[in-house]
Amino acid sequence: MPSGPREMPDEPPPFLGAWRRVYTAVVVYLALLIALCYAFTRAFS
Amino acid sequence: MRPLDWVVLVGSLASIIAYGLYRGRGSNTVDRYLLAGKSMPWYAMALSIMATQASAITFISTTGQAYVDGMRFVQFYFGMPLAMVALSATAVPIFHRAKVYTAYEYLENRFDAKTRALASVIFLMQRGLSVGLTFYAPAIVLSIIFGWPDRLTTLIIGITVVLYTVTGGIRTVTWTDVQQMLIILFGLVVALVMIVLLLPRQVSFLDAMHLAGSAGKLNAVNFHFDWNDRYNVWSGLIGGMFLALSYFGCDQSQVQRYLTGKSIAQSKLSLLFTAVAKIPMQFFILFIGAMVFVFYIFEPPPLVFQRVEYNRIQQPELRARYEPIADRYQDAFTRRKAAALEIVAARHAGDARAESGAIASYRRAQQDLDAARRQGASLVEATGREKGFRDTNYIFLSFVTRYLPAGIVGLLIAVILAATMSSSSGEINSLATVSVVDIYKRHFRKQASDHHYLTASRVATAFWGAYAVAFAGLGKHLGSLIEAVNIVGSLFYGSLLGVFVLAFFFKRVSGTGAFVGMLAGEAAIFAAFLFTGISFLWYNVIGCLVVIATGMAVSFVSPAASATPDTAG
Repeated sequence: MPSGPREMPDEPPPFLGAWRRVYTAVVVYLALLIALCYAFTRAFS
Repeated sequence: MRPLDWVVLVGSLASIIAYGLYRGRGSNTVDRYLLAGKSMPWYAMALSIMATQASAITFISTTGQAYVDGMRFVQFYFGMPLAMVALSATAVPIFHRAKVYTAYEYLENRFDAKTRALASVIFLMQRGLSVGLTFYAPAIVLSIIFGWPDRLTTLIIGITVVLYTVTGGIRTVTWTDVQQMLIILFGLVVALVMIVLLLPRQVSFLDAMHLAGSAGKLNAVNFHFDWNDRYNVWSGLIGGMFLALSYFGCDQSQVQRYLTGKSIAQSKLSLLFTAVAKIPMQFFILFIGAMVFVFYIFEPPPLVFQRVEYNRIQQPELRARYEPIADRYQDAFTRRKAAALEIVAARHAGDARAESGAIASYRRAQQDLDAARRQGASLVEATGREKGFRDTNYIFLSFVTRYLPAGIVGLLIAVILAATMSSSSGEINSLATVSVVDIYKRHFRKQASDHHYLTASRVATAFWGAYAVAFAGLGKHLGSLIEAVNIVGSLFYGSLLGVFVLAFFFKRVSGTGAFVGMLAGEAAIFAAFLFTGISFLWYNVIGCLVVIATGMAVSFVSPAASATPDTAG
């Protein structure tokens, strides 16, 4: 058994150019989902 | 089950396992067996992460949860995207650069051997308890359909999972997960379409949503803060984020998935894809439960969905107590159905006043129906051996087996079994990895050949499979399984998360500080569990904060022991 698996390189994301932008997009997406869920709850309550 | 159901069921499962074994061939070194030789693409890891998390419990119990309690459970997942972003930015690169097989191996690099050992034992306890529940859920399915005893069905599923997990290691686990996730998604869409098709002709899809909403079943979001309320936006965002940080950052069953990535970027993408897909998927599953509720507005639901207990309370010796409840239930059902049809008619006619009056009648009838159901559950409890009886886990299955056509039943049973296999195989694989890497190799046999550790990994996999089968019966006493699994996790995750936060961000904290902090964190969580009414999602927050505070305090009063051997990357 080797001491550990071989080291892996990091790469930029395949879209949006930088990881920081990808993270921001995920947080914005979450805010949008919560807003949609709220609208859904209000519409059918 | 009809012949076509058997063809679909056996065909689906056989093809999944055959494909997984085909993709897993060549797993003949420890590196390939435990980490797939670091060769997995992001989409396979992402689907595997989702499949491991989506167990049979997800489909059996979550749908029932929506039927009984509405869709508010979806808020539980709101913290997950935040956690995935945090983990992608911190844990993923740290674990990759540390070149570890397990998350707990990193703790020895950063702190010391005792901290690694304690974290490993906490993981083994927590995941060992949960894996038994994972096996129990499909035993419910097969006991309902075939009337087979739980023990036998658990054993059959357990042997199947152990055989392919032992043979192919994580590569087989991951590729079977991918297949299983695709079947799960297909099955969910088919289930929703079938429910909508089975509604009365005059009830449109939009009408069905209004009926579910009028009964409070589409309550997806609640902004009101309450410590004792299990599911609201705040408990979901904060408590759910801590739970997801713990689960995806400190639980080897998840960490091992993204350690198989070709690169750090591929691992990050797998987590972020899960973050994006998970909430809509859970919303969809809960929505199916809400639509099952609407279906049962027009078809009489059984007083008790657990068929064995339902048959028992109808026996002649209990009839005097059963019949008044059944009469009340039938009366409430009839009134609710009539009111629901009035709502639909008023909606179609655009008569808002009539609709409002019908909704009031509908809600009163629903309250009476719920009261009669509670009386039915009380009768089961009072006359049987099962305390705390809840039939949440039987609602969706009861619907599937009674109302869906040939072929679809087989498909949905395949979905549930596939989900069980994907979850349990991942859990067993990770339990074996921690047992061998963090316990056996670290403390009992430090120098041995690769072949020796490969054999040890296979033996450990078989052991944990047998353990899971042996403890599967515990699920019978735990009510809603989806809550039980998350409560068990929350009893241990907070302290695990705390020690990793110390490792990543508090460079002056010593190994002794981290070790004492974990013990204090566990004590605080169990105190909250045993002596307060605080909702379980907050246990993760409490445990994590107590570990951090204690770890810092201990390191401050014994600064000579402080160490900063590693970086946060």
